[in-house]
Amino acid sequence: MPLFKRIALRRGFNIIGVLLTMALLGGCAPRRPGGEIHHYTVGTALAPPAQQVFIRSLASSPRTLDPSLSTDVMGFNVLTDLFEGLTQFNAQGQVVPGVASHWTVSKNGLRWTFFLRPDARWNNGAPVTAQDFAYAWQREVSPDTAAQYADSLSMIVNASAVINGTLPTSALGVHALGARTLQVDLVHPTPYLTAALANTYFDPLYPPTVRRWGLAWTQPPHLISDGAFYLASEVVNGRLILLKNPWFWDAGAVRLREEIDYPIKNAASKLDRYLADDLDFADDPAFPPSDIDWLRHALGSQVHVAPYYGTAYLGMLVHEQPFANRDLRLALSMALERNVLDDKLGRGLFLPAYSLMPPLAGYTQQLPAWARWPRAQRLAEARRLYAAAGYGPGHELRARLLYPTQGSAARHYVEAVTLMWKENLGADVHLWNEQWKVMLQDIQYKNAKLYWSAWIGNYLDPVTFMHQFQVGYPMNYGDFSYAPFQKLLQAAQSSNDNAQRYRYFEQAERVLGAQMPFIPLYFYTADNLVKPYVTGWHSNLLDVHPAQYIAILQHTVH
Amino acid sequence: MGALARYTARRLLGAIPTMLVIITLSFFLLRAAPGGPFDMQRALPPQVKLNLERMYHLNLPLWQQYLDYLGNILRGNFGPSFVYRGTTVNQLIGQGFPVDIAIGLPALLGALLLGIPLGIISALKQNSWLDYFPMALAMVGISIPTFVVAPVLILVLAVMLHWLPAGGWSAGDPLYMILPAVSLGLPLIAYAARVMRGSMIEVLNSPYIRTARAKGLPERTVILRHALRPAMLPMVSFLGPAVVNTITGSIVVEEIFGLPGIGRFFVDGAMNRDYTLVMGVTVLYGLLIVLFNLIADVLYGILDPRVRFQ
Repeated sequence: MPLFKRIALRRGFNIIGVLLTMALLGGCAPRRPGGEIHHYTVGTALAPPAQQVFIRSLASSPRTLDPSLSTDVMGFNVLTDLFEGLTQFNAQGQVVPGVASHWTVSKNGLRWTFFLRPDARWNNGAPVTAQDFAYAWQREVSPDTAAQYADSLSMIVNASAVINGTLPTSALGVHALGARTLQVDLVHPTPYLTAALANTYFDPLYPPTVRRWGLAWTQPPHLISDGAFYLASEVVNGRLILLKNPWFWDAGAVRLREEIDYPIKNAASKLDRYLADDLDFADDPAFPPSDIDWLRHALGSQVHVAPYYGTAYLGMLVHEQPFANRDLRLALSMALERNVLDDKLGRGLFLPAYSLMPPLAGYTQQLPAWARWPRAQRLAEARRLYAAAGYGPGHELRARLLYPTQGSAARHYVEAVTLMWKENLGADVHLWNEQWKVMLQDIQYKNAKLYWSAWIGNYLDPVTFMHQFQVGYPMNYGDFSYAPFQKLLQAAQSSNDNAQRYRYFEQAERVLGAQMPFIPLYFYTADNLVKPYVTGWHSNLLDVHPAQYIAILQHTVH
Repeated sequence: MGALARYTARRLLGAIPTMLVIITLSFFLLRAAPGGPFDMQRALPPQVKLNLERMYHLNLPLWQQYLDYLGNILRGNFGPSFVYRGTTVNQLIGQGFPVDIAIGLPALLGALLLGIPLGIISALKQNSWLDYFPMALAMVGISIPTFVVAPVLILVLAVMLHWLPAGGWSAGDPLYMILPAVSLGLPLIAYAARVMRGSMIEVLNSPYIRTARAKGLPERTVILRHALRPAMLPMVSFLGPAVVNTITGSIVVEEIFGLPGIGRFFVDGAMNRDYTLVMGVTVLYGLLIVLFNLIADVLYGILDPRVRFQ
């Protein structure tokens, strides 16, 4: 079809209108379009199979599609559709059985036996076997693979020794007992194992393709996967095309025939693409925060803002002055007016955080008592603690707050934080920004005493947040080593009872609140845009949206 | 061997030390930057970090890494990307460069086909509305940056009118090329028109044009035979670097339209300390600049009889 005709078909062709609009817009270039936003009448029936194509954005191009090597959220999003582990996520983000139909756990919680579905298949038709899992996990911890998340398997017997090169990969505590039974031996009870297993680094691999193609095995058509989709093509920074895997054991329930992923880094560009109907689903962050008000008005239920499993906070080097002083840490945390920060800067896209753990089912957040105090009482106590720490007029706290150059949200936030400290305590904290990698190095080398930080949980269990403050954990940058907290973490780690573990973690969080080795700022939200004709998409805490549950409904555009 | 061939060979030989300096400086500057390709918010356990460094030979002395890198480049191998694991830099450039050419060439062509005639008309009709109007437009084209023009084009043609996609890339589909090429081409057209007008006016005021007119030659012959060729010389100087800038991709245009070009690799690579990727793109840029400057100099000699290839 001629190009002009194709353009004309996309919409009526009115060149005068275009020129007039361009002339008008040229002067002011507003972000908000003039009103040509499509509306939809959506039916209840599914669209015909030919229209079952789901187009989504990714916050950037996945670094790799090797499940053992992937470390980024974008890779996780794509790999969730390509691969299925022993467990998997459902549409609500809950962990459900995947390739393993069921499993048993020994009384002491140290031996897990998984039973694989007989009908699980790779996309070339070969059966998914227990050996494929054992191979993938051994490869993950092998020093030759140099996987960045290798230590995430450290709960498995001998994993650390294999990573260190002191034992061969065959010594890893995972064994295939026949084609459909996998036995896993653990060094400590891990009641959250099934949640962790849904992560990509526990996915199986098809050994023949990895052995034959080496690192290039992830490039189509070499990539063999066992999930609801397989990879048809990939252009880095361009697009990925995933097609329905006819061999998937639950293929009958998969309604999409194709998924197209566009990596789009810039939130404003992503919003434009969504409004231009180029995307069915714009992923988090789907729009610049400043656009939220008019978007809510113009798009209504297409805007999905929901809690996300992440916390932004300020980290501190607590074994060195001035932040070795607990009173000072508490005073700084109390002096922040989080509601003002989140209303004015976050526009409701951040949820005020007074503690470490984001809201999690079954877990009771441990807010410090002062979080509920009236403003005057809280500020008075903050000033008292500030003075008790030895600071006051003529002897103000002088410190430097390090934050990353990228991301204007962080900059606005820390500017407001330092102003509040100045206003409420008289503290003189000045800002310093560095490029992300430089900042990481400064934090890891303990060159920064006060710094911006954030953590997104890998799986729905408090341990993923708590161990940031555990002695010996690589992310305990502040060197927090308060004995009562460490004891509670050890108690939680050795417990086989999930309810009991959660109680230990709740106690541990109370200790954190009293010691305040960090200053909680806000909990993240996942900000997505989803067209009304997309069904099977649900907001959830991990912001995971497997395409195997998604379908396109019949709809008309007007 | 003709003078031109000797000149070209000499220039190409002269490019070797230039490229060596570019590679050496880039290599060591990049390694001097704080932070490494595998630094993540969650610090790597020491043994995992060691395994990674071994895999990518980062555990070797820097001078040895440098010599290895030079050896690999001579064999045309830019090495594996540190960040896009499992992908080589050659693959990434091979994937991204055609996209930049597909966007850059139409933009350049537009600059030549529209910018040059506009500049000539403005010069010939100096101080008339045929001069003021295109030159005012050109000033607007130069003054308004791409990061303003591109979103406005997207807003009108994609979001409001739904004529064109707001971004993305589908190899070979011209629909996806139009907006990026126009965004990239508009300032080029404006520059080309300004350069052409200026040089044309200068040539038209020179004594030999006055002589040609005094001899009674028709104006058309004066312009086409005597004025146009010398007036093109500044255009050649302008086009040399412009071609390189355009076909190596505009980072802004690639970012706004989500194009898989190499400009984004350059920025992302630098941000993520993907040493090999940044080096690969730098070497490519360096080679293209050397090549197109040579082409510009050769064209200069062909257009200007006073220049001799010595």
